[in-house]
Amino acid sequence: MLLASFLEAHNILFENRVFTKEQVYQELVECLTDQYKLPVSSSKLLELILKREEEVSCAYPTGIAIPHIRLDGFNDTLIAMAFLQNPLDYNGIKISWVVLIITDITSSKIYLNIVAALLKLSKDSEAMAALASAGDGNSVIQYLKRKEVEVKKDVTVADIMVQNPIAVQPRNSLRELINLMGTNRVAGMPVVDETGKYIGEVNVLNLLKVGVPNYVMMLDNLSFLASYEPLENLLGKQDILFVKDIMTTGDVFVRPESSIIEAVFLLFSQNKRYLSVVKEEKLVGLVTAMDILIKVIAG
Amino acid sequence: MLLMIIALLVFILTYLCIITEWINKMLAALIGGFVIIVLGVVDQTIAFSAIDWNVIFFLIGMMLTISVMRETGMFMYIAIKTAKIAKGSPLKIMAMMFVATAVISAILGSVTTIMILIPIVLLIADELKITPAPFIITMVVASNMGGASTMIGDPPNILIASATKYTFVDFFLNLTPAVVIIVIGSLGLIWLLYRGKMYVSNERRAKIMEYNDKNLITNPKLLWITLGVVVLMLLAFIFQKPLHLENATIAMAAGLILVFIGSRKKVETIILNDIDWITIFFFIGLFMIVAGLVNTGFIDLLAQGVMSITSGKPKTTSMVILWLSGVLSAWIDNIPFVAAMIPMIKTIGSQMQNAAQVQPLWWALSLGTCLGGNGTLVGASANIVAVGIANRNGYKISFMDYTKIGLIFALESMLISSVYIWFRY
Repeated sequence: MLLASFLEAHNILFENRVFTKEQVYQELVECLTDQYKLPVSSSKLLELILKREEEVSCAYPTGIAIPHIRLDGFNDTLIAMAFLQNPLDYNGIKISWVVLIITDITSSKIYLNIVAALLKLSKDSEAMAALASAGDGNSVIQYLKRKEVEVKKDVTVADIMVQNPIAVQPRNSLRELINLMGTNRVAGMPVVDETGKYIGEVNVLNLLKVGVPNYVMMLDNLSFLASYEPLENLLGKQDILFVKDIMTTGDVFVRPESSIIEAVFLLFSQNKRYLSVVKEEKLVGLVTAMDILIKVIAG
Repeated sequence: MLLMIIALLVFILTYLCIITEWINKMLAALIGGFVIIVLGVVDQTIAFSAIDWNVIFFLIGMMLTISVMRETGMFMYIAIKTAKIAKGSPLKIMAMMFVATAVISAILGSVTTIMILIPIVLLIADELKITPAPFIITMVVASNMGGASTMIGDPPNILIASATKYTFVDFFLNLTPAVVIIVIGSLGLIWLLYRGKMYVSNERRAKIMEYNDKNLITNPKLLWITLGVVVLMLLAFIFQKPLHLENATIAMAAGLILVFIGSRKKVETIILNDIDWITIFFFIGLFMIVAGLVNTGFIDLLAQGVMSITSGKPKTTSMVILWLSGVLSAWIDNIPFVAAMIPMIKTIGSQMQNAAQVQPLWWALSLGTCLGGNGTLVGASANIVAVGIANRNGYKISFMDYTKIGLIFALESMLISSVYIWFRY
């Protein structure tokens, strides 16, 4: 779908005056409430925007801010935007383009894809210059149509994954692995070879297992043991054991073009908290269950 | 004649698959069982009627009972308490574990007992910093001996009981005394073989004494209920003749009552994890294959062969069967061996002058099979399971390592059995 299809010319403003953030929001809100029947008043809408901003900043380093309101029982997606000649200051970031999006409480997919398209656009300095100087709503829409700026229909893993994640190699010692986990505060990570090819996974449970021989796992009840040396002496082995001794292979992974539901399915059926994203045998990203929850469902 | 050869071939092939573990034994037995039908050696009705459901449901019932017994924590408690009573002394632990394993195995069967107790012994050996190999081997021997002593212990006895309709009391009066003597003899052997050979520092022994057994019984109420039901079950076995109850019913009743009272919320977990379906289906396939051997007359041939050697004299025949079973079962897995021998002994029995004279043959078969299984590493399932667990934990016990010791105990027990059978019957 074209981004232009979501826009109406009279909802695209060019603001020369020196406004505060609240004033810009006010203007955009009134733009929409003037034309559309919304379940809440414009003052309430403003309140919602400001409240959300306290929780999570909507500003991006590329100069775009995307305030977002989700309304219960509102079955549509509305966009109003303002190009500011006098940029606003969002905690040190200069914002010259504010895009207000109002959606239904459940429509995260379309929202995410619009945001993705807007962000992509905001990174294109040539396009941003053209838009800022367009002067009126119709010209903006024409420009976007000509450039065929698209809003993808579906969200994929590539949209929410963490790129170039922390990884470790089979030849790294357990000491190096423990340090990596500690500095980056992660409980597990993918394993790659020197060329970045994805091989497997290793996590903190694999580490702890070094101190727990097989027969201990066969006992019914360990309550009689006050202490257990092999576990306590685990760190004594951190220089003589390597990632290759404890890692697993054959774990499932996803591709960048995999769908979110596919990722969720794999997280459940394999009882994992994160999945490695692999493209043409190389590790390109990591997608966690928390990412899916926060960015896709709750975003 | 052709059918007989086919039946024999199927039996041998299945057997080889079991020893080499080339394919899963259940798969091998089931494939063998249905191949017999497909090739026309027997028809499906006969093959199915050869499946001894008494044995199958007895096994399932016992598996259910054991599953709930394990949940009470009683086995962990017994094992840790034993180690503490022995004050961490390796020789005492070995002797006490020997007796404990034999007694528990008499009720639960050797493989189950081994699976519960071996991990604990590995832990104790680790803490005492001594090699676990002697403990593992002697406990395996004890489990096979214990399993030989009652009707409900090891599969060979279960199979024999089902085929002969001898009761729990019959087994107890005839086999248990022999095994008790053998166990006492074995304890003497242990003393001879291992005294002064295992040294453990006081500090290490103190670690064992520190074990806290207070919380090992996780469910005291369930423990008393379980013990109560098990006692009732044993009483039912003892009085099964007047009560007109067969083994499968008693075991299933006990198992179902315990699961219902103790673990009915976890029924699915129990059914999936604690019932050894591989063994159950293995038995089913095996019964079908043996039906092939029986129906084609192979077993009759064998029986005649044995009779011609012994001229039908009971004492000689018993000895032949005792030693034949002993030597063969050291190499051949107990269960297929006994499954094939049962119809043979039945045939021999029917040809004897006095029907009662067949009795010692059965006891000879039982003792020979179970005790002979101690002889080599491949002689019995318990041996293989135990060594498998040891291997997985980094302790390699080779064929020779095991056989050097197992053979001594096997010979000791076979000799005592020979004397016992000769003079008693």
